[in-house]
Amino acid sequence: MKNKAPAPQPARGGHLSRILTLAGATVTQLLRMRILVFLLVVCVLMVAFGFGFPVSSPEQKLKLLKDATFGTLQIFSLVLAVAATALLLPRDVEDRTLYTILSKPVPRVDYLLGKYLGVIFLIGAGLIILDVVLSGLVYFQQQALLQGTEAMLRSEGAPEDEILQQLAQVQRVGLTWSMHAATWAIFLKAAVVTALALLISSFASSTLFTMVSTFLVCVLGQGQELIREYLFHGSFSVTMEKVVALLLAIALPDLRLFDIVDNVIAGQSVTWGAMASITGAALLYVVGYLVVAQVVFSEKEL
Amino acid sequence: MRGKKLAVLLLLGFGLLKLPMERAVSARLNQAELLSPFASLELRENLDQTAFAAVLGGLRSLVASVTYMRAYIAFEDGFWAEVDRLYALTTRLQPRNVAYWDEAAWQMAFNAASHYLHDKGTREYTRGALYQQYIDRGIEILREGLRYNPDSPRLWGALGDIYARRKREPLPAAEAYLKAEADGGPAYYQRLAAYQLLQAPDRESWVKAYELLRATYDAGKKFPSVIDGLHELERRLKIPPDQRIPEKASEKKAPSVGPMAP
Repeated sequence: MKNKAPAPQPARGGHLSRILTLAGATVTQLLRMRILVFLLVVCVLMVAFGFGFPVSSPEQKLKLLKDATFGTLQIFSLVLAVAATALLLPRDVEDRTLYTILSKPVPRVDYLLGKYLGVIFLIGAGLIILDVVLSGLVYFQQQALLQGTEAMLRSEGAPEDEILQQLAQVQRVGLTWSMHAATWAIFLKAAVVTALALLISSFASSTLFTMVSTFLVCVLGQGQELIREYLFHGSFSVTMEKVVALLLAIALPDLRLFDIVDNVIAGQSVTWGAMASITGAALLYVVGYLVVAQVVFSEKEL
Repeated sequence: MRGKKLAVLLLLGFGLLKLPMERAVSARLNQAELLSPFASLELRENLDQTAFAAVLGGLRSLVASVTYMRAYIAFEDGFWAEVDRLYALTTRLQPRNVAYWDEAAWQMAFNAASHYLHDKGTREYTRGALYQQYIDRGIEILREGLRYNPDSPRLWGALGDIYARRKREPLPAAEAYLKAEADGGPAYYQRLAAYQLLQAPDRESWVKAYELLRATYDAGKKFPSVIDGLHELERRLKIPPDQRIPEKASEKKAPSVGPMAP
């Protein structure tokens, strides 16, 4: 009677519970890396920047505060998306954690999704906290501005309807629902960048390579609209240019689709339709890049 | 090896699938005025490398705030050419932010123009020319801003202010104020338009001014300037006595609605 090697037993729990366990472990791992502490210091400095400069009107003061705070959110989410994702796989290889996990009956796709969700969860939680704090700051600034404007108009004897009209204008550039929609757009952008970083990380040989490549792809992704429009309407003289433009347009995500922050700060409202479009686009990117990442990672020799 | 080939094929297939989606979403967001125009070559020439990279990285609004602050510091130092250059850069970075256009025009047409008018260091015969030049620059800025924001009551109102207070041209001023009010601006733009039409030389403008002021009066806004204007127009237009407003003191103090700092 031959002794057969025991077939790997399926791990307890389904895919979802394994993925969530790995996501939880990823969050703990990232928190131990102290990236968050550094980012929080940067955030505090940037918000201070929003208060510390001269402006000619309270409205501009409000705008500057919103610029600084949204800039903070964008930097926080993108740096975390790129740096955390780039660090994860090499760190797991270095610590040999990867071998321990994959020696168990854990499919590689679960491992990849767990890592992805861990990073996304951390970015999401960070953005929610920062959004609440920064919304509070904008709200207090806006209240001060509203009170000042109302007092000035009343002292000048302005009619009630004109006062209401002026106050509505101030509120339009203050704290609005669209500001949270802009934060959601920042989160979606970070989710796409994380998926891209994971894809690059799945074939990259070093953390540095992943980080530099992902940042480069992000910069090119910001100009993707231009590349696409040249491709459809431009007149390339050289075939090689056409091929390169086509490859870039195919491979890169259009990250400008998520840059609605600028116009939201200026008082533009975000419709549900626009939100659905952005969310749909982000989902397509994330699924697409994660599928390709899984195909590459499943064949990776560890 | 098979996996890598499959990955490349998947990436290509996915890329071809996403292109039409990206165009559709981009068009939708542009239509909703949620995306800013792409950073142009002109912008690249005027921004340093770091700022341009930040613009590409999606921090356009933040870079605009920085150039705005630099413009403000230049204003405090009285470097008007630099103020103009930096505000031009700021408005190009965020063309849909009407506050920047408004403030840029105010700096040129009011602050820079007044500075040169009273500048003892400038020869007397060039003062007037510089004064006019900077007022015209303010108008030019607002006209450019209105190309991006054609229905902005704030920009139309600011244009009316420059024509009324700096150019002393009542007809274009009234036209701009009426556009501001029609586009959803405060009701006082209607009164300001009427005051400008009152200063025009033709009867047609007076009739229009009378209609506007009478409507304001009938709405219960019986400010001294409204009553004075109506009396003047009743005299000029020879309105029958039974249709005139009563000769009595005004009931309300008119609010100040002049162009202060934007």
